[in-house]
Amino acid sequence: MNRSGATSYQGQARGFLLPSLALVLLVFYLPVLYTFYLSFTKYNGLGTPEFVGLENFASMFEDSAFLDAVRNTAIWVVGTLVLPVGLGLLVAVLAYGFRGSGWLRLPFLVPYALSGVAVGVIWSFMLGSGGALTQALQFLNLPGTELRWLQDSPLNTIVMVIAASWQGVGVNALLFTVGLQSIPKEPLEAARIDGATGLRLFSHITWPLLRPSTTVVVGLSIVNGLKTFDIVQAMTQGGPARSSETLALTMYRDTFVNSDYGLGSAVAIFLSIVTVGASIIYLRRQLSLSSSSLGGGK
Amino acid sequence: MRARKVLAGAAIVLATAVVATACGGKPDTGGATTGELGFAHNKPWNFDAFSKISKQDIDISLKSTQYSGDPYRAFIRQSFRTKESPGLFTWEVSTALDELAEQGVIAETTDLWTEAVDKGYVTDAVRQLYTVNGKQYCTPISVDDWVMFYNKSVFTKYHLTVPTTWDQLMQVAATLKQHGVTPFWNQTKNFSFVWFQTLLAGTDLQLYNDLSTGKAKYTDPRVVAVMNSWLDLQTKGYFNDPGQTDFARDLMREGKIAMAPEGTWFTADAALAGMTMGKDVDMFVIPAVRPGAATPIAIETAPVCVGESSKQKALGLKFSQWWMSPQGQQPWVKQQGNLPFTPDAEAPTPQMKTLKTTLAAGKYEFYNRYFEATPVPIRTVALEQFSAFLTNRGDPMPYLTAIQAAADEYWAGR
Repeated sequence: MNRSGATSYQGQARGFLLPSLALVLLVFYLPVLYTFYLSFTKYNGLGTPEFVGLENFASMFEDSAFLDAVRNTAIWVVGTLVLPVGLGLLVAVLAYGFRGSGWLRLPFLVPYALSGVAVGVIWSFMLGSGGALTQALQFLNLPGTELRWLQDSPLNTIVMVIAASWQGVGVNALLFTVGLQSIPKEPLEAARIDGATGLRLFSHITWPLLRPSTTVVVGLSIVNGLKTFDIVQAMTQGGPARSSETLALTMYRDTFVNSDYGLGSAVAIFLSIVTVGASIIYLRRQLSLSSSSLGGGK
Repeated sequence: MRARKVLAGAAIVLATAVVATACGGKPDTGGATTGELGFAHNKPWNFDAFSKISKQDIDISLKSTQYSGDPYRAFIRQSFRTKESPGLFTWEVSTALDELAEQGVIAETTDLWTEAVDKGYVTDAVRQLYTVNGKQYCTPISVDDWVMFYNKSVFTKYHLTVPTTWDQLMQVAATLKQHGVTPFWNQTKNFSFVWFQTLLAGTDLQLYNDLSTGKAKYTDPRVVAVMNSWLDLQTKGYFNDPGQTDFARDLMREGKIAMAPEGTWFTADAALAGMTMGKDVDMFVIPAVRPGAATPIAIETAPVCVGESSKQKALGLKFSQWWMSPQGQQPWVKQQGNLPFTPDAEAPTPQMKTLKTTLAAGKYEFYNRYFEATPVPIRTVALEQFSAFLTNRGDPMPYLTAIQAAADEYWAGR
C-alpha cells in the first residue's frame, strides 16, 4: 500500500470514530463542563441558574461538616490502602505456589461479586444496634458490647472501612497473584542460590518486581477510597448528624436532598480535582521511580 | 489541516446529536382524557390494584413507577426540563410544593378544589395546605391523622387501658417499662421529628406554629424545655434503641415496643406485618401534654400533582379530580383501610369509624405535620440534629443551635 492509500484509509477510520467521539463528548465532557458551570451558580434544579461567583466554594469550606467529610474521606483512603491492599498482598503471597491456591483465594473473592449496597446491608445487620456482633460478644461474654459501632464517630467510619476491606481483599489478592505470576523466575532463583529466603527474598526481590501490579492496585485503591459512596449510604447515610459523611455523600446530600445543585457541583468539582490530582501525583511518582530503576540497571 | 477536518466533523456530529435530542418525540396536544396515565410515586402502596378500579370507573389506568429515597425529588425536578414529565406524581405539601408552584411547572388545580370544597368532598382547612399565593396546586390522595397505635395483646397482658390524658399515658409507659416492655417507638433519620412534634405541639401549639413560620427560635427556652422533656423520656428508657432500623410495624408485632405514634396510614403497614386492626393492633388519640381548649392532632396529607407541560396534563387532572371525589376516594380508603378525607364518606373499618366519630365529637385542633410544616432546608438539618440528639443524649442546646443556624439562613433569604 502506498502512502496516499494509507492516509485515505486513516481518514476513513477517523470518520468511523466520530460517532463514538461525539457520544463521549455528549455524555462525559458536556456534563463535566455543565457541573463546572453550575458550581458557580445558585440553582435549585428549577428555573435558571443564578451566577454567584465563588460563593459555593466559600460556603463549602466554611461548613464544619464538609471538613468532617474531608477527614472521613482521608480515613477511607488510608484505610483502604492499608487493609484491602495489605491483606490482598498477604493473601496473594501466602497462597502463591501452593497446590490448590485458587481454592484458598476463592473465599476472599466471593464478596467482590456483591454490590457495595449488599455488603452494606449485610454489615448493617452485624453492626447495627443490638446486631449480630453485639449479640455474639454478649453470648461469649467478651468486652465491646457497649460499643455503638455505627453511631459513634470516627468508629463508624473505621468499621465501614473494615466492611469494605472484607469486600476488596479478594480482587487485590487476584491482581497481586497475576503480578507474582508475571515475575521472571531467574532473579528469584538467583537470589535463592545466594541464600535469600522468606522476608528477605520478598523485600529485596519480589516486592520491587511487583511494582507494576502495586502501582495499579494502589492507584485504584486511592481513587476508590476518594469516591466512597455506596457502602456508607447503605449503612449510615452519612449519619448520625453527618458524622460519617464522605465527600461523595456530601455532594449527594447537597444536590439530591437539599436541591442545592450549585453547592453540590462545587463539592463534585473539589472531589474531582482531588481525585485526579492524587492519581496524577501518585502515577507520576511511580513512573519516575520505574524509569530511574530501569536507568540504574543499565 | 487534517486535525481541523476531524474537529469540524466531530462538531457536526455533536451538533446533530444535540438537535436530535432536543427535537426528539412527537409534540402532543395533551387533550386525551382516557387511556393509560404515567404515575411516578414514592409510596409503598398497591396502585396497580387501584388502577383496575379507575379503569372500570373512568377508563383511565395507572402505569405506576415506584422510586425511593431522595433521588425521587431530583428525578421529578429534572423531568420538568424535558417533555417527559409524568402525567401524575406524588409530592409533599411543604416548601417543595411552593417551589414547583412558583416556577410554574405544575398545573393549577384551583377549579378542582373549588368544586370539591363546594360539594363538601374536602374541607377548606385541607385546601389551605395546597394553597400557594392564593391558588391551589395538586390534589390529596389521603389526609391522615397522627394517632398512637398500640399492641392490643401487650395492653391486655398487663391490664392496661387506653389513656385519655398525658399523665395516664406516662403511667402506662411506666408500667410497661416495669415489665420490661419498651413503651414507645422512636427512630432516627426521617422519623426523628416525631416526638419533637408530639411534645412541642402537645405543649404549646402556637409555639409549634411560630417555629414553622420563623416567628420563634429553636433556642427559645420553651423549646429547650420541650427537648428536656424528650430527654427525660429517653433517660427513663421509654424508647427503643434509636439506632434500630426495623420498621415500627415489625417491632410492634414482635411485642418489642407497645406503642407507636403514626399516621392512620399505619393500618396498611400493620396489615403488611400480618397484624389485624382491632384484633392485634388498635389506636387512640394522643393526649395533649398540657391540656388546653382543644387537643392538637397532626395531619399528614399526600398530594398528587400534574406537570404543567406534561403531555398527559388533561388525563392527569381528570384522574386527580376523580381521586378527590367520593367515587375515587371511597374505593381508595377501602383498599387502604384508612380514613377518608371526605367528611360524609363512610370509614372502611370499625376502628376507623370509631376514630372518625371521636374526632367529630371532641374538640381537636389539627396542625400540619413537622415534616411538611418546616421549610425543607431547615428540616434537613433538624432531622440530622434530632437524630444526633437521640444518639448522643445530653444538653439539647448544641443541636437546637445548629437547627437555628439553618433557620436563620433560610429566613434571611426569604
